[in-house]
Amino acid sequence: MVTVAYVQLSGCCGCLISLSDTYEKLIDILNSIDLVYCQTLADAREIPNADIIMVEGAVCLDDHHAMEVAKEVREKGKILVALGACSAIGGITRFCKGGQMPKPVQGSFSALSEVVKCDLAVPGCPPSPELIVNVIIAVLNGDMEYLSPFAKYAESTSTSCGCDLITNVINKSLCMGCGVCTSSCPTRAIEMIEGRPLVSSELCIKCGVCSFQCPRIELPKGVCQLDEE
Amino acid sequence: MAKTINITPTTRHEGHAKLILEVEDNEVVNKAYYINTTPVRGFETMLVGRPAEFAPIAVMRICGICQTTHGTASCAAIEDAIGCEIPKDGRLLRELVALGNRMHSHPLHHLLTADDFIKPEEKDLRVEAIKLIQRMRKTGQLVVDIVGGEGIHPPNIVIGGMRTNISERAKAKLYYALKQYEKDAYNMYEIYTGLIERYLEEIGIPDLGSHTYPYIASHTTFGDKEAIKWDRVVEIPPQRYYENREVAESTSVMIPLYEGVPVEGGPRARMAKFGNFKIGGGAMDINIARAKENLGAVYRAMEILDELNINGKSKVTPEYKDGSGIGVHEAPRATNAHFAEVGKDGKIKSYKIIAASTWNFPIVEKAIEGYPHQHAEVIMRAYDI
Amino acid sequence: MDINRGDYMDPFGKYNSIISARATDKRILKKSQDGGIVSAVFIYGLENGLLDGVIVADKGEKFKPVPKVATTPEEVIEAAGTKYTVCPNISLLKSAVREYGCDRIGVVGTPCQIISTKKAIKYPVGFRHLTDKIALTVGIFCMENFPYNGMKTVVEELCGIRLEDVVKVDIGKGKFWVYTKWGETKSVKLKETHPYEQIACHVCTDYTAELADISTGSVGSPDGWSSVFLRTKKGEEIINKMVDEGYLETKPIDEGKFGLGILKKLALTKKEKNLKEIEYRKELGLPVPIIE
Ligand SMILES: Cc1cc2nc3c(=O)[nH]c(=O)nc-3n(C[C@H](O)[C@H](O)[C@H](O)COP(=O)(O)OP(=O)(O)OC[C@H]3O[C@@H](n4cnc5c(N)ncnc54)[C@H](O)[C@@H]3O)c2cc1C
Ligand code: SF4
Ligand code: SF4
Ligand code: SF4
Ligand code: SF4
Repeated sequence: MVTVAYVQLSGCCGCLISLSDTYEKLIDILNSIDLVYCQTLADAREIPNADIIMVEGAVCLDDHHAMEVAKEVREKGKILVALGACSAIGGITRFCKGGQMPKPVQGSFSALSEVVKCDLAVPGCPPSPELIVNVIIAVLNGDMEYLSPFAKYAESTSTSCGCDLITNVINKSLCMGCGVCTSSCPTRAIEMIEGRPLVSSELCIKCGVCSFQCPRIELPKGVCQLDEE
Repeated sequence: MAKTINITPTTRHEGHAKLILEVEDNEVVNKAYYINTTPVRGFETMLVGRPAEFAPIAVMRICGICQTTHGTASCAAIEDAIGCEIPKDGRLLRELVALGNRMHSHPLHHLLTADDFIKPEEKDLRVEAIKLIQRMRKTGQLVVDIVGGEGIHPPNIVIGGMRTNISERAKAKLYYALKQYEKDAYNMYEIYTGLIERYLEEIGIPDLGSHTYPYIASHTTFGDKEAIKWDRVVEIPPQRYYENREVAESTSVMIPLYEGVPVEGGPRARMAKFGNFKIGGGAMDINIARAKENLGAVYRAMEILDELNINGKSKVTPEYKDGSGIGVHEAPRATNAHFAEVGKDGKIKSYKIIAASTWNFPIVEKAIEGYPHQHAEVIMRAYDI
Repeated sequence: MDINRGDYMDPFGKYNSIISARATDKRILKKSQDGGIVSAVFIYGLENGLLDGVIVADKGEKFKPVPKVATTPEEVIEAAGTKYTVCPNISLLKSAVREYGCDRIGVVGTPCQIISTKKAIKYPVGFRHLTDKIALTVGIFCMENFPYNGMKTVVEELCGIRLEDVVKVDIGKGKFWVYTKWGETKSVKLKETHPYEQIACHVCTDYTAELADISTGSVGSPDGWSSVFLRTKKGEEIINKMVDEGYLETKPIDEGKFGLGILKKLALTKKEKNLKEIEYRKELGLPVPIIE
């Protein structure tokens, strides 16, 4: 069976809760993999080698231990998945700047994908339960076609944020005003005004969902097939 | 000879932590340190200078299990600072969304602790319990999804009330889900208390994890800042609390004290303060109180549905002015308190959080001391840290 | 669809069958754009428990559309008729499930909006517990769209009609038509409206909503009738039931020049024209929304 480790860095546990919000299906998921490490759900205390290592949370560069874990997950995981905005593209941790008691020196947080090479990076704060399951299944099946957008995110070093809709869509004469960015945003930061998204910089937490969801930035092959339902 | 036992990392709870236990020859813990090793993302400093609306959205991301309580306390603190009164239906919806969160968080804790009490050979029981727990969590999260807009990090909790009211259809849907939850919660309570009683009997320590410290609680189902004398609360750096330099250096939590001593918050504290739950018992009493609170939560949630006017106003537009305020909410794990100073430009001037769990960090240490080290994690988990 | 992989010259994408149809309910026909297929399907769905909420484009002030979650037949009828301007229907996808509490949503949209919806279903990153609740997608044919003030210019400046007076706008027979509540009809050649089109439409190669369960439009069928593609099993089932129960009357689509012929021609025109634009933008080094 495929071995999976779930490692938590500086996140909020929300990505793991999202996975567990598969409710009755969770048992089937856990039965189809061999969960060898997940500190929040099981007792293993040492990260073992694993076929898939999923990492939630950003890396605190000012914390020796976190840096070691970042290295360790890369060495031990055949496929390394940066799961959720914090780990994949920064998310809320982009706003961290330190100075808080009792650890005033901890202030530099980077996405895991910026610190070590990740194979897949999945935006979202958190990614939906359904998406996490899709990713796990695709990895189990080696479905690289499905995973290709996430492979791209893992390679890209650009910061994600609601502004992507401006620079990559509106500015590029690509926005046709569908509104899917608005409904995808987890903080309701996007309003549609005159058929175009208006992103509130007060509410955007740089989770990367809106730009991921926009079909005018990327339209993966699989989307364009009419599956027989 | 005395020895030191390190349990690192501790498992089946949120966050990163370790236990350092100084143990006597008889295996009993003489001194316990419960150290949170999670790096500090610094939500308090992050918010300074940012628009107030960002605060609830950001602080929810402190914890993905109890995001709702942070959002609620944050809005309450800012509303208190600017003297903003939220409409009745907004207030009801807010209590409801947070109860939904409790109704998912408590069962999640049952899930994390199940392996402490269910024996490895009891496979069917384990599956049955997990299914029950997941069904309960599903309802809890449904409430948060519908009322809060997202089950994890609900964006409808906004300064001034709740972003929207719910539809008649949504209300009906919640009603039926809650009905089922009521049955499930009762069932869960029976199973869980039975398991705990058996466990205590088998280890032969009926008062496992007891301590003599007082309790803190502000309300049974929501939060009430008036119920706590805030001038008696201090939060001190670990350097002042721990004599052990290494421990003081490594932990990432500040230590909150009430009248100079640690206090326990959470289900038992609430049920003892506002009900007649047993005071001074073992830590497993907290687990039982937690399972019982699921029932209290679902009853109150149903009451709220009855009271809620779906055509009522759920939100007012906040008007910013200089001020500072306190927002309190009873999180699943303890009293969650946010302190906000806001400017008339609508920006945060300073921000302080006493996150629910931090009350219980020093208490966990006290509760572990005096009992065999083998049970240290079981005691720690009872606090749902 | 596979737009730039060679088989793009397949004009309609996959479908099981195509028919001409119209609603039998007079209340619908009075308000609908063409054969009232969209409204009839939604009303049938709501009345028979197949759907419990539908996302439509409601009429706002001065013909400005506003997306709406409709849960009653009356609300569906109110929103009938085409608004030739962007209406971000998909922005309500989440509200429909959250605060409206719907479990079986119907979505109507232009081809691009159906694509967005399909992407959300396939990659639901930001759509927790939602995509399994999208019960039916109805696509409407679309050659191009107008920004609100683009449409306004066409109506007010080119046709000389105040927007407040407009009851219906239509495109057909090479013209843009405006009908007023005073019974007047004005028109302008479609060619003259091109400068006011939404430019982002020029990289769109889907004319007939190739990813929807059902797609419909006026082209290919007589006035007052609609051409309807039944693409998926779901789409086919609901249409068949509606025909059996008398909600829709149908006839075979005209296979000739003024039926399928023109539909095919327009679909291919759109693909050819806009693929050129895509190539052009690529040459300039501009991004286009397509991956290999
Ligand atoms: C911009 C645009 C361009 C079109 N171009 C063509 C074309 O080139 N050829 C062709 O055959 N047909 C075209 N149509 C479709 C056609 O005008 C009718 O909408 C379609 O035939 C459905 O008519 P009906 O009588 O079945 O639907 P009705 O019962 O009238 O219902 C129409 C539904 O569409 C919704 N709707 C209206 N406007 C919009 C909008 N802007 N965005 C999203 N939803 C909307 C309404 O809320 C309503 O629910 C176009 C439609 C639009 C919006
Ligand atoms: S991405 Fe969001 S949900 Fe996931 S760990 Fe970060 S803050 Fe939490
Ligand atoms: S998802 Fe993309 S195309 Fe659609 S409205 Fe948003 S930015 Fe525009
Ligand atoms: S606008 Fe919303 S979806 Fe987009 S990055 Fe910001 S928070 Fe995420
Ligand atoms: S032409 Fe294409 S992009 Fe423009 S509105 Fe129609 S379907 Fe959307």
